[in-house]
Amino acid sequence: MTAARADEAPARSDIPPVEVEGVTVRFGAITALSGVSFTVAPGTIHAVIGPNGAGKSTMFNVLSGVYKAAEGQVRFGDARLDQMRPYQIAGIGVARAFQNIALSGSQSVAENLMLGRHHLTKAGFIAAGLRLPKATREGKVHGRRVAEIADFLELGDKLHTPVGVLSYGDQKRVEVARALCTEPRLLLLDEPVAGMNAEETTRMAEVIREIRAALGISIVLVEHDMGMVMSLADRVTVLDFGRRIADGTPAEVQSDPEVIRAYLGSGDDSSPADLGSPAPGVSSPAPDAPAAGAHSSDTPGTRS
Amino acid sequence: MSEATAPAHGATRVGSPAQAGRASESRPRRSLLRPVLIAALLVVLLLAPFYVEEFWLRTGFAVFGAIVGAIGLNLLTGTTGQLSLAHAFFLAVGAISYVFVSGESGGIGVAQLSGLGLPPLIGMIVGVLLAGLAGLIFSPIAARLRGIYLGVASLGLVFIGQHVLNTWTSVTGGFNGRSAPNFSLFGFTFANDNPLLFIAGVPFREAERLWYLGLVLALASYVFARNLLRSRPGRALQTLRDSEVAASVMGVNVQRYKGRVFLVSSMYAGLSGVLYALSIGSVAPESFGLEVSIQYLAMIVLGGLGSVGGAALGALFVSALPLVFQRYADALPLVSSPGQGGINAGEAARFLYGAAIVLIIMFEPGGLAGLAARFRRRGRDPGARRPRSPVTSADASTDDSTTSVPSDRPAQGSTT
Ligand SMILES: Nc1ncnc2c1ncn2[C@@H]1O[C@H](COP(=O)(O)OP(=O)(O)OP(=O)(O)O)[C@@H](O)[C@H]1O
Ligand SMILES: [Mg+2]
Repeated sequence: MTAARADEAPARSDIPPVEVEGVTVRFGAITALSGVSFTVAPGTIHAVIGPNGAGKSTMFNVLSGVYKAAEGQVRFGDARLDQMRPYQIAGIGVARAFQNIALSGSQSVAENLMLGRHHLTKAGFIAAGLRLPKATREGKVHGRRVAEIADFLELGDKLHTPVGVLSYGDQKRVEVARALCTEPRLLLLDEPVAGMNAEETTRMAEVIREIRAALGISIVLVEHDMGMVMSLADRVTVLDFGRRIADGTPAEVQSDPEVIRAYLGSGDDSSPADLGSPAPGVSSPAPDAPAAGAHSSDTPGTRS
Repeated sequence: MSEATAPAHGATRVGSPAQAGRASESRPRRSLLRPVLIAALLVVLLLAPFYVEEFWLRTGFAVFGAIVGAIGLNLLTGTTGQLSLAHAFFLAVGAISYVFVSGESGGIGVAQLSGLGLPPLIGMIVGVLLAGLAGLIFSPIAARLRGIYLGVASLGLVFIGQHVLNTWTSVTGGFNGRSAPNFSLFGFTFANDNPLLFIAGVPFREAERLWYLGLVLALASYVFARNLLRSRPGRALQTLRDSEVAASVMGVNVQRYKGRVFLVSSMYAGLSGVLYALSIGSVAPESFGLEVSIQYLAMIVLGGLGSVGGAALGALFVSALPLVFQRYADALPLVSSPGQGGINAGEAARFLYGAAIVLIIMFEPGGLAGLAARFRRRGRDPGARRPRSPVTSADASTDDSTTSVPSDRPAQGSTT
């Protein structure tokens, strides 16, 4: 089923599957996730969908170590993500682009992207403060790679612009670029096209496809844009009220009665009508544009 | 590839190449103005002792010391967003360590003082290291607390410091304080004689010598902090301020970095404390109270949170003002010399910078540094109005992606 697509990517032996097993997360009385399991096969694009508040971002927070699961396990090869701290998870090649943009507005695009190189570089306080040659050299080498990645996301001409003055779509792309800058083996994209216009959405879909084709990494994609999900994903996991209600290929999921019920019941923009339209980038605007994005689970404790 | 953005950019870039002036400070600009101004400032600072009278040199030395402390606090509070009210405590650790390590044992009045009598350079280094050590001991707490909570927790240190300063008489001199030994470097004393020194017919006495000491240390502190902010640790700290979650997910060990920056900040404070002791010539508990912590906060807010140059400007303003007012008390309306009615110089200065802080917070949250940047911008690109505030800018331009986005590198676009 996924074979046709996985063929595009070079086979990489260093990319293990992600195995989520029976993960439960509670916030007081709310159970944001209850016993969710799924497996992301190496080198595939795995979509996690569901109505607002279904627990998708919460799942990402578990995968990136921001939230601790009350029950269950998350394995990425030999690593137990559910027992690691976020920076350690980043260190083994798991990167994430946030749903609500979590960039440093006062820093330039290049500086934001360089943060992605943090775990790949070493310069400490003393080396940096004294501008020791090794620190300078390191900065140059990684600066070049950052510029490449910026070009890839069409941010090359904005490298030295403070992120805060960029358009929303550009900022979204900086988010994705920053995640890419960590040279990930697993890329978590939380609604990468929310709030983007149709053209930007199409281009982002291309970018995601290219990333997979060129790097062969696994991508977990949370997205409300059904057209995009159905055309990109090798496999789809559907969440509703914190439970997994379906898991399968896009075609299987689309015809699943429970999925249709969940989307009908929630009555939001991503209705079953969208489920049937596989063309990328022609969907309605994402349900939670930035203004409405008052969600707390994306970047808990953020000041922005 | 970028069908929408490319033409728009070409157009804006040709139209206003000067927009580069606005962009992030973190890139060297091709403009000559800046290096020329910096060079001029340096020359003025280097030549000052030949032309300026002693009062200004002494004020200058006090300012240099305050600059070091303000830069340190700004790294912690401005750059990383960790509020600290304990700065006075770390100043005290530096100052007391210096007078103890380099001071002589002996009795002054009733108090029996002990001192190690080591060379002042050792005293200075020990002062910085011990302040750092104190910071290190506190940093597990600093690493776990965030923003204002750290502020409250750090308050305790000031009170502990006051208590120790008042009671540990053999080291601190107790309530009356203790005099600070002159600084000296490899036999060259930073005092009025020993050796007697004339350069170009100008007597080089304590004030002149200290001026250069302060200048060198302030410059070094400035350069170190600037370098830091422009590199890996600096980026991590700034991201940590904007979003701890984002920083940690991108691989930053948040707790370690909070601890580290607290350590660095307290070492800056330690050095500043040593300079303070040298500037006053003595240390006393009253010099390290809570007001001092607040004064340092005033400096960095006034100067511009997160800006190293801003911290220096703020330190200049806040630390020099009372001294200048005192000197010109007779000439200034309302301000009186000590002992007479009216407002004394210190209070007057505090009113003034208090008012300045309110104005700054209301009208230019970027502080003096933000104000300076605004002038630079205006000079290059009249009529340019651009959102820049790091806080408000996130939703500043959600409308479309083709808005002119300035680039720092005019050359890049025009070659494609
Ligand atoms: N830190 C938190 N504290 C309390 N409740 C939370 C927290 N984070 C998430 N929740 C709750 O958990 C549930 C799932 O939220 P989550 O953000 O994961 O949904 P989502 O699927 O990402 O929704 P959306 O599509 O709107 O982004 C919601 O009811 C939310 O209110
Ligand atoms: Mg979400």
